[in-house]
Amino acid sequence: MNNNEHFDVVIVGAGISGAIMAQELGKNGKSVLILEAGTGTGGRFFSSDCDAPSQENSQPLSSYQTYMSTFFTALAKIPNAPYPNNANAPQPLVTDLAPIPQGQISDNGYFVQTGPLPFASTYTRAEGGTTLHWLGTCLRMLPEDFELKTRFGRGLDWPISYDELRPWYEIAEQNLGVSANANEQNYQQIDNPAVHIPFAASYEYKMEKIPQSYLDQYFSKGLAQMQVSFEGKNYPIDVVSTPQARNGMPRGDYRPVGAVGHETAGQRCAGNSNCVPICPIQAKYNALKTLEQAKKTGKVEIRTQCVAYQLETDEQGKNIARVHYKKYQSSDNPDHQCHAVSGTIVVLASHAVENAKLLLASNVANSSDQVGRNLMDHPTMLTWGLMPTDIGAFRGPGSTSGIPSLRGGEFRKSRAAFRIEIGNWGWSWPEGAPVGTVPDLIDEKNMFGEQLKNYIASVYPRMFRFGFLVEQLPDANNRVTLDDNYRDQLGNYRPVISYNVTDYTRAGMAAAKEVSDQIFQRLGIEGFTEYKPSDAGYLTYRGEGYSYNGAGHLVGTHIMGDNPNTSVVNKYQQSWDHPNLYLVGCGNMPTISTSNPTLTMAALTYWAAQNVLEALNPC
Amino acid sequence: MDKLADFYQVSVVLTGYNRSRLMATGIGEEYFEVLTSLVPGKIIDELFICSRALAHEYKGEALNEKFREQILSNDRLGPVARNILKMWYLSLWYQLPQSWRETYGVPSQTPGKYQDIDFVISENAYIQGLVWPALGSHPMGAKQPGYGTWAFKPGEELTRINLGTDHPVSDIEEGNLS
Repeated sequence: MNNNEHFDVVIVGAGISGAIMAQELGKNGKSVLILEAGTGTGGRFFSSDCDAPSQENSQPLSSYQTYMSTFFTALAKIPNAPYPNNANAPQPLVTDLAPIPQGQISDNGYFVQTGPLPFASTYTRAEGGTTLHWLGTCLRMLPEDFELKTRFGRGLDWPISYDELRPWYEIAEQNLGVSANANEQNYQQIDNPAVHIPFAASYEYKMEKIPQSYLDQYFSKGLAQMQVSFEGKNYPIDVVSTPQARNGMPRGDYRPVGAVGHETAGQRCAGNSNCVPICPIQAKYNALKTLEQAKKTGKVEIRTQCVAYQLETDEQGKNIARVHYKKYQSSDNPDHQCHAVSGTIVVLASHAVENAKLLLASNVANSSDQVGRNLMDHPTMLTWGLMPTDIGAFRGPGSTSGIPSLRGGEFRKSRAAFRIEIGNWGWSWPEGAPVGTVPDLIDEKNMFGEQLKNYIASVYPRMFRFGFLVEQLPDANNRVTLDDNYRDQLGNYRPVISYNVTDYTRAGMAAAKEVSDQIFQRLGIEGFTEYKPSDAGYLTYRGEGYSYNGAGHLVGTHIMGDNPNTSVVNKYQQSWDHPNLYLVGCGNMPTISTSNPTLTMAALTYWAAQNVLEALNPC
Repeated sequence: MDKLADFYQVSVVLTGYNRSRLMATGIGEEYFEVLTSLVPGKIIDELFICSRALAHEYKGEALNEKFREQILSNDRLGPVARNILKMWYLSLWYQLPQSWRETYGVPSQTPGKYQDIDFVISENAYIQGLVWPALGSHPMGAKQPGYGTWAFKPGEELTRINLGTDHPVSDIEEGNLS
């Protein structure tokens, strides 16, 4: 390897946004190099003795099936459980989380958390990125979400409108393989105009909606005509199927797309009930699918175990001249070699936190002083209980419906909006059921034999939980910084994170809890929700305690805007400071609103790929 | 006496599943191996002999009462029995309680295939955990029941789509089977 290698485009990160960028550029004949910090998947489903490790990579080649084996035998089946713990590309884990004592720093995981509250979300550093364990929810943002400042005096406006992004949403939905019905997802049936989403008249998703769970149907029936009141105004409670990047029944001649391994991998969802942490059959979209298509263009090279650590500018400080990276042979060993490559255009697609880290470490793209700031998540509050009857818990995709009717409205002037997710997996999230809860039945409740079996049969199928994804506004003090005292074993920085949740969001959590209480009362659900001061995400609002969890939705850190003094990239997702540097991913989003951000990120990235292509082919 | 047969005998009482169902998991011998690797033979023998004697003399609820009295509340046998039960339901070996380990733990435990720590016994053990059929579903990540089955009323036959007259065709196309 030499240090004079040049590509049309160098992309940092082989997750969803890097994969989209690579495929779009590769298929247009551009030479693309992807540098991935984590390990690869080897392009195979099953491990095979025939697959000798290549000389380039002395580690045994991984496979998707290895991830499955790791999952099966993992004690804590957390979202990152199947994926390698790689000290050369460390990643945050939910098991690192703990309350941060006042004035102290929590650094027992990858993140160095200075508080006052812990940032609760995690991500995956391996080829395919966090889409390896995402749920697959593919909601569009509401038109009003792009104009929070103008309409509600809160947060920021986007430099683009919903109408500008709409065609890119359509492309993203097609390429990720989203199953849904357009005449539901435009929310025209909901008696709250604030949430209506205009779809193109002739538009339809490529696959029919994923069947709603029996639990969803139970809620649909039980909550029919229900309304709640906020600030003297009534809002409807509507249960609506959630659009999902999960293979369903194709429409017309569309055929579902698989990913690595055997060609029959990746057909319709078969109900493995395991989207997070890993879909065994890859019916759920992951970025390996797009990476496979990118490789087929013949123009895209992916180098795994290559950690980008510095962007070097030209002498004028104008363009990014070279990307420096460390290539390691084994994740157990910090031995590495340093290399550099150049690209006519450089794209950072390594995740909101990692993008910010690389920019800060390189001291580039930050004339606005906004790099690393405005870190957002959906603080996710859970409520849980026992339904009065067997609703068949622990079946199907993690969530197949939600209650989106409270995503928008005038109340956003005073408090955060939220979307309600209906969970199909009982108390697996709030209590770790069943494996985390049955020991208590045996050790403390002293059950065994028929009694134990009958108790589980009568209680566990009635378990259910809501998730309230509460919006968080951009806040300059919620940020990623660097500190020379905190580095990983390769000598790269660990992210130092300061984070808090403002009263605007806390008020949204309180409103969410009230809605939950009313639903529980209406359906006779036996409540078991408990928020404890020992919870990592425990906070109070007006004397009441609530707990939030991470949604895995890391947004902000290099926001887009109209003004180079207050944003990091322009609407083309190009750095204001360096014309040949593009940033992609959720880091570009100025606000998070109430939709899971992946679809919006994908739509933005298809647009960014078009912009990069035009920059490479000036008219 | 065949100790594996004894193991199944005590497992039937502990789990509430019959012997055929336990053997059908294909995983009993592995659990037996874990147990005999980590618990002194004398204690296992005592458990098996006691369990068999109780089952010989008592049936039904009387057996359960005697099982609690003689085994589950016995400081030597109880933790072992509960660990057998947890293996069957949860596919995990849990480290035995500290007081038990101090009194009865195998003193010369050498590093071997198994250690007395919390661990998932094997991939297949996870897939065969009895908690999943007990709660009316399948192990998360395995034994996939098929597309759309989550829309069915719980307890309906999961392996085929119900095309009965209760469901107009349009509902089935929408996936709203109820």
